[in-house]
Amino acid sequence: MSDASTSRRRPSRELLEQLREGKAQLRAQRRNLSLAEKVGAVIELQRACLPLLARQRPLRSWERVWDLEP
Amino acid sequence: MPRFASALAVLNEMKSAAVLEEYAVAGAMAIVFWTEPVPTYDLDVLVWLPPSSSPVVTLTGVYTWLGARGYRAEAEHVVIEGLPVQFLPAHNALADEALRTAASLDYEGIPVRVVRPEYLIALYLEPGTRTPRRRERAALLAESPRVDQQRLGELLERYGLER
Repeated sequence: MSDASTSRRRPSRELLEQLREGKAQLRAQRRNLSLAEKVGAVIELQRACLPLLARQRPLRSWERVWDLEP
Repeated sequence: MPRFASALAVLNEMKSAAVLEEYAVAGAMAIVFWTEPVPTYDLDVLVWLPPSSSPVVTLTGVYTWLGARGYRAEAEHVVIEGLPVQFLPAHNALADEALRTAASLDYEGIPVRVVRPEYLIALYLEPGTRTPRRRERAALLAESPRVDQQRLGELLERYGLER
């Protein structure tokens, strides 16, 4: 029986560094958003996260998408 | 549709009306102010309540003032301009200092006081409240370039807090 963990192709260290750098850049971009853009992003996160949260447990009364403009 | 800035303006009105002696945004929304957006569903507001002859801390005055303006209480929150807000009376000397040293920021023309990131980290690392999520948020903040690492180190040492 072959050992899959030794035969599987692995990403190079350079590729991993490139991916980490890309992630760091994305986070830096999000840090540099205006405050109103950040509040807009929070509302988008609520839209994305709430359905996932609702699958795990009942939502609390305040756990809902904010009905407001950034 | 209400605006986020309108909810912040209500906090300033509460201070002007002496319903609150002082306030500062804390919790996850304060993180959002200082670093990157994180999922959250409410606005935590650290407050000093006005002096009272009663030794018991109560939010009745806050809820009454807001209720008279049509903002309804839901469990431990009050929904202000569409935003669930939780008022947290400062619970110790660290919270007092966080409130006293909060930064005044501008949100779409509305001034808003926000707990500084070093104090947010310290509050997240308080013993008794160190949940995995709070440690994660402290770590997220700690790597932000907005954090003054020297001030953070001094603060953690002074209050005997560990990372």
